[in-house]
Parts: sequence; structure tokens; C-alpha cells
Amino acid sequence: MALLRSVWSLFQPAPNRGVLLAAIVLAAIISVAILYALHRTLGPRGRRWLIALVTFLAGLFFGLEFFWPVKGDPAKNFLTDWIEPVSTMIAIIGAFTVGLGIYSLCQVHGRNVAQRRPGWHNSLTFFAAMLAMLVFGLWEHYLHLPQPLPEVVPWPKGIYEILFNGLFAPLQAATFSLLAFYIASAAYRAFRIRTAEAGLMMAAAFIVMLGQVPFGAWLTSSIPVDAGWAFFRLEVLGEWVMRWLNMPAQRGIVFGVAIGALAMSLRIWLSLERGTFFTEQS
Amino acid sequence: MGSLEHANWFMRIAFFAMSAIIVGSVILAQRGRAMFIRRIPGLTAIEDAVGRATEMGRPILFSPGLDGINIVTLQALAILTYIIKLAAAQATRVIVAIRSPTVYPVAEESTREAYDAAGRPELYRPEDVRFISDEQFAYGLGTVGVMAREHVATNFLFGGFYAESLILTENGRALGAVQVAGCPDPTQIPFFIATCDYVVIGDEYYAASAYLTREPTLTGSLVGQDIVKAILIALAAVGIGLTTALGPGHFLTVWLGGGG
Repeated sequence: MALLRSVWSLFQPAPNRGVLLAAIVLAAIISVAILYALHRTLGPRGRRWLIALVTFLAGLFFGLEFFWPVKGDPAKNFLTDWIEPVSTMIAIIGAFTVGLGIYSLCQVHGRNVAQRRPGWHNSLTFFAAMLAMLVFGLWEHYLHLPQPLPEVVPWPKGIYEILFNGLFAPLQAATFSLLAFYIASAAYRAFRIRTAEAGLMMAAAFIVMLGQVPFGAWLTSSIPVDAGWAFFRLEVLGEWVMRWLNMPAQRGIVFGVAIGALAMSLRIWLSLERGTFFTEQS
Repeated sequence: MGSLEHANWFMRIAFFAMSAIIVGSVILAQRGRAMFIRRIPGLTAIEDAVGRATEMGRPILFSPGLDGINIVTLQALAILTYIIKLAAAQATRVIVAIRSPTVYPVAEESTREAYDAAGRPELYRPEDVRFISDEQFAYGLGTVGVMAREHVATNFLFGGFYAESLILTENGRALGAVQVAGCPDPTQIPFFIATCDYVVIGDEYYAASAYLTREPTLTGSLVGQDIVKAILIALAAVGIGLTTALGPGHFLTVWLGGGG
């Protein structure tokens, strides 16, 4: 009975319920229903206008909040208080799509198992792993709630520990560690001196890498730190390459990317980009 | 409060001025003004890479990266749409490997629409738009698994990539696939340059849809952003000159900081 009561308590409304909350939920449901009905009944042209209008209004909200003058401490304008609820709403809509992702996985792996395709046992392992993590992950989660479910049996926590900390986390770490080998093989190919550019890259990499390790500092340690030619100490030269050659180049790229992102945002906000995505430009 | 920071006066003026230049350039292009775009090898290579997959009779893999729905991913999906139209014309299969559940329905819809637009709706297979995993390395290894099992001839990697980029491209290279990548993040570009056949660098990434489709709206936007870039470079040059002559704290730095 205690277990059932605890489960039932998870589905009770939030404590700050009230008329306003009910009105907001009702308004949201009605708005979604109206939008859905319009989307289904309008023709292609009307549907395009509807999508453009919703996109414009959504972008306008965040744009106005950012650009409208602010007052007070903390600085805010008439839209600032709505940023958090709207962001939460977007996160909730995004969470719905996780179900679609799981559906896609089940579709692909279910077909593999049903048709006994090569490697079908891997797909079967996927279902077993997903089910195990789902059951024991949720179980573990509910044991840590402010009003946790009673710990009827002791082993779900142990199994979750094995699955997550004993299996999943080490697998992630092992994959990450593979990068060291991939970096070595990629660097070997990139640093082979076949062109003038590859030679320059090799020289720069040589200076920067040696500048980072004690051996590099030792190689040029005969140059006094306060001498006029101290610039040629490898750790100083490496730092100079990073700060005065690498950083401006990186900032130049970021600069161009930011303007490109602005242009793309404007095209999407004003629905100028739609020719590329969903319908041919008229 | 959890809200964004707010704009100062310089940001307001700069944003509206830059937007006006870009939108103005779009309007000019729509009215028929001819606009020049230089050749971008990484984007020109897309057509050859699709052709190679067709000749080999093997599929293409497209990854829109790790990010959720944002500007970077939307640009990746625009490139995906173009690639599918090209591939559909040659009846070549395109497999899309998805990491973010929020991207999945959008990618599915754009893929289906792209096959429709190419006049080959029968080639669309729902299982070819695959959600792999929302865990970074599980996604990396899962996508490599798809490359190996499906014997892909070409890998297109456009979007936001992080530490898994090297796992994808080194394995893709070992499998003999032609690889074309594009990422706006400067920290990942070196990895792609070291491992891919063609790389789209920096703001070339955002030039892709204009370059590939040559639609007036997109071309105008691209030229508009180049004008904005030229103005900002000029402003930076003036700033360097003033700072060299007057030292820091002159009127331009005060103005750029939103004060004064």
C-alpha cells in the first residue's frame, strides 16, 4: 500500500497550483489545438504563412527581450520575467522528441531482429540494455526523490551502479582514450612535409609542442631569461606563436562565423530561408 | 533570473545596421542584381563525392553533428537537403545519423521533402534517418558502426562537432570513404583538415546554401554579410590606428563598450 501511495503521489499537481496556472495550461492547450487545426485545414500557401508568422513571433519575443532597454537591479524589462517560463516550455516540447528517437531506434533494431539480419544479436542486446537501464535507472531516480519510494528490495541500486558506474562510464572513458591514438595517426599524416604549407605547419607544431614540455625549455635554457634574444627560448617562442599567430587567426574565423550566423538567423526569422528547407522558392 | 544579458546602445545600432545591410542586399538580389560568389573547393567537392558513391553503388552517410536545433544544425540540414536532391537524381541512398532527438523530426521531414522535391518520393526510406544515441561517444561509435555495416562510399560531416570528430573521420578514412566536412568551430577545423578530403572552413559553412543553390535570396544574404564583414574590418583597422596613436580608452573603445 505504501508503495502504491508513493507512486500515486508522483502524479499529483504541483503545490503552487491555482487559477492562473489552470488558465495558462488551458490557454496553451487551446492555442495548440487552434494551430494544429489551422495547419491541417489551410492550403500550402496558408500553411507557409502560418509557419512564417509563428517563427517571426517566436523570434521577436527573444529579440525584443534582448534589445528593449532595461531598468532596475537586477536589470530587466517587461519581457524578462517571461524568459524562464518560455525556455522551460521549449525544453518540454524538446523532451517530447526523445520518444521519437527511441521509436527510431526500436524501428531499426526491431527490423534487424525480426528479419534475422546479420548481427541481429547486437540489436537484441540493444533492447536488453535499453530495458535494463530504463527500469533500474527510473527505480534509482525514484529512490532519490524528496519523498522517495520505500526501498522494498536492496538490489536495484546495486544493479544500477553496475550498469552505469561499472559499465557505461568506463566504456565512455575507454572511447575517449582512443582519441590519443587517433590524434597521433592524424598528426602523422598532417605533418608529413610534402608542401610548403605542410612544412610551415610542421615547424609551428614543433615549436609549440617543444615549448609546452620541460625538454623544450631545457634545450634553450642556455639563453638568459633577461637577454635581448630571450625571445628565442622555446617556451617564449611557443607562447608567441599561440598568442600572436594562432589567436588572431582563430578570432578571424569566429568573426566571420558570427556574421554568417547573423545572416542565417535573419533568413530563418524572416522566413527567407524556407526555399532551402521545405518548399521550393516561388 | 536566468535571463540573457541585455544589449547596450552600440549593440542595438550595430545589429540594426548589419540587419539592414543584409536584408537590403537580399532585396537587391531578388530584383535581379547579379552577384558574384568566389569558388569554394569544399562545396564544389560535394557533387563529385555524391557521384563517387553513385559509381560505386554504395550509400552516402550524412551527420549533422552533435548540436540540438540551432543555427549550425539548420545550416547542416540545408546542406543535407541539397545532397539528397543530388543523390536522389542518381538513385543513391543517403543515411542520416542523428544525435539530438530534437533534430530527428526536423531531419526526417526535410529528408522526405527533399526526395519529394527531387521527384523521387519512392526512394525515401524512414529507417535511413536514424537516431543513434544522445551520448557523445555512443553516437560516435554508433555512426562508425553504420559506416562499416553499410559500406558507405562518402561521408558528409556538417554541423557542430566536438571530441568525437576524430573518431568519425579516422574510421571513415580507414574504411576508404571520401570525406567532406564543415564546422564553424575553429577548435575542430584542424582535426577535419588532417583527416578529410575537403573541408569547409569558418564562414564558408554559412555560405553553403547560397553557393549550392544560387537562389537570389541566399546569394544576396551572402553578399550582404560580406559587406558587413568589410565594414567591421575597416572599423577594426581604425581602432588599431587610434589605439596605437592615442593609447587605450579613446572614444571608439568607450563607444564600442556601449558607454559614453
